[in-house]
Amino acid sequence: MAGRVLEAGLQLLDRQLVDRDGRLAGKVDDLELELPEGGGPPVVTAILAGPGALARRIGGRLGAGLEALASRLREGDDGRPARVSFAVVKRIGSAVELSVPRAELETNRLEAWTRDHLIAHLPGAGDAPE
Amino acid sequence: MRLSDLLGAEILDEAGRSAGRVHDVRLVQDGPVVGGFGAALRLDGLLVGRRAVGARLGYDRGKMKGPLPVKLLAGWLFHDGRYVEWGRIRTIESDRILISGTVEDLPRPGPSS
Amino acid sequence: MKRLFAVALGILTAIGGFVDIGDIVANTETGARFGMSLAWVVVVGVVGICLFAEMAGRVATVSKRATFDLVRERLGARVALVNLVASLFITFLTLAAEIGGVALAIELATSVNYLLWVPIVAFCVWLVIWRVKFDLMENVFGLLGLALVVTAVALWRLDPDWGGLLHGATHPAVPQGEGHPSWWYFAIALLGAAMTPYEVFFFSSGAVEEGWSRADLVTNRLNVYIGFPLGGLLSLSLMAGATLFLEPRGIQPGHLSQVALPTALTLGKLGLAVLLVGFFAATFGAALETGLSCGYTIAQYFGFQWGKFVRPADAPRFHLVALVSIVLGAGLVLTTLDPITVTEYSIVLSAAALPLTYFPILVVANDPDYMGDKVNSRFSNALGSVYLLLLLVVAVATIPLMVLTKAGS
Repeated sequence: MAGRVLEAGLQLLDRQLVDRDGRLAGKVDDLELELPEGGGPPVVTAILAGPGALARRIGGRLGAGLEALASRLREGDDGRPARVSFAVVKRIGSAVELSVPRAELETNRLEAWTRDHLIAHLPGAGDAPE
Repeated sequence: MRLSDLLGAEILDEAGRSAGRVHDVRLVQDGPVVGGFGAALRLDGLLVGRRAVGARLGYDRGKMKGPLPVKLLAGWLFHDGRYVEWGRIRTIESDRILISGTVEDLPRPGPSS
Repeated sequence: MKRLFAVALGILTAIGGFVDIGDIVANTETGARFGMSLAWVVVVGVVGICLFAEMAGRVATVSKRATFDLVRERLGARVALVNLVASLFITFLTLAAEIGGVALAIELATSVNYLLWVPIVAFCVWLVIWRVKFDLMENVFGLLGLALVVTAVALWRLDPDWGGLLHGATHPAVPQGEGHPSWWYFAIALLGAAMTPYEVFFFSSGAVEEGWSRADLVTNRLNVYIGFPLGGLLSLSLMAGATLFLEPRGIQPGHLSQVALPTALTLGKLGLAVLLVGFFAATFGAALETGLSCGYTIAQYFGFQWGKFVRPADAPRFHLVALVSIVLGAGLVLTTLDPITVTEYSIVLSAAALPLTYFPILVVANDPDYMGDKVNSRFSNALGSVYLLLLLVVAVATIPLMVLTKAGS
């Protein structure tokens, strides 16, 4: 049975991640592939997002520096980059739509930190614009 | 393994000849079911060729209408693309991927969509 | 009727919003030195911005994705990063120039040194970005910017030798005593002032901010095709004013008061007051746009939430970037670097960076997966290709000319 065919670089990488509520949750910076136990070609298990993942794509000294910085920011667990399991991917269209709100994603940590430590202190942060 | 480990790696055959670098990979959605997504994406093969800017911009799908100079330029840059099925890969090293057989008998990539 | 009102509002806002400190400086300095001989560049620039703004707006409307989002998608992470750094640098420089411009406009009105106004201006720019609704912001500053029409009124009141002006414009020739490299350098500056990259970032992000749908495509076209050329006429009236007043007297406008001279002398205090409102609105509006554009480009590259259509708490990093950009921009002006000089560099470097912005737009505008049936027509593609080639030539020529002419001195 032939399934949908995709070219990862063209149709998955660098695409916008959109959560269940239409909010933007990062970009597809890299993909995690796992070799199945019974042998055979690897399977895409997760989307990797955030500076830790992006650093590898940029490569070179700049990428290495970015990766060091990202592990300090500790987005994912154990210094791994933030991971979005493919189980929560709803649809791959012009953007990658997810079935969960972004608050549940590892990619949200930097955003939440910025909000809680910086932006929330400014008056009116929670108000809709007038 | 990450996708970025594969992208940009150089394809070398048994004789040490290069087929170019991996510029993209083809995924087929026929793996085991994963969560709400359905069948997982299985890596079918590697798309190899000169740094295929044209493919990245989307010009190899045949639907792009123009502009003409860009389309022509992209076509010229992409003309020597090859396809390496997963089964032909022998070893994956940090910047190189060694395949069985020779670079000559690598097929052209068929259209993906 | 309501529809007509909306269209009229859009057009008027486009006219009033067209001119910023870059256009003010570029057109006045050019008029003072080269008369109307470079007026054709403004025409080329206006046609160019019309072409690409319409394209960027159409792409954002149909695909619901703003420019920089698509830049990364199409060019890949690494190339797009280079693009980001360059675009961000220029947009930031323009932001600093605009903040300086607002302060200069207020200085002209109050005779209080512009440096004292910079922190207040920066705070106000940030406050508007933080609190004020997007379309309200656009409409207010766009309409106020129409006050710059007073420059055209002054011109008309002067009853100049229209034939002479027209002759100068239609017979482009390097004036006596000026060199070819300088002439071409000023041409590049004029082009950069008319076709600023931030305009495209802002325009396409604005389309998403305001929730444009396919029904708005026609309105988008009208705003662009009617509004921008009329805005270009305002640029030309600045150039003509400088040609008539500053060139014969050999005055090199290094100060905003000299830009105001033609209007002040012709229409007196009232004319000057209206002009200052126009200066203020044009520069403040552009400061808002560039501040937001710094946020848009970074957020759209990295993929985090952007936009004023959500609460600030829902787009924290976007607002942080905008805030930091404004603070740093104000900081740059406070180093007492001449804002006019900063403006001159920002427009010239903008011209050099144009291919980075326009190329991805041109490509995506042709992609049926994004655009459906709204892909570029053959005409748009042909014109777009010609412009891309022109912009590549300009990009290559900019730095050598800058060195050769010592930045136009």
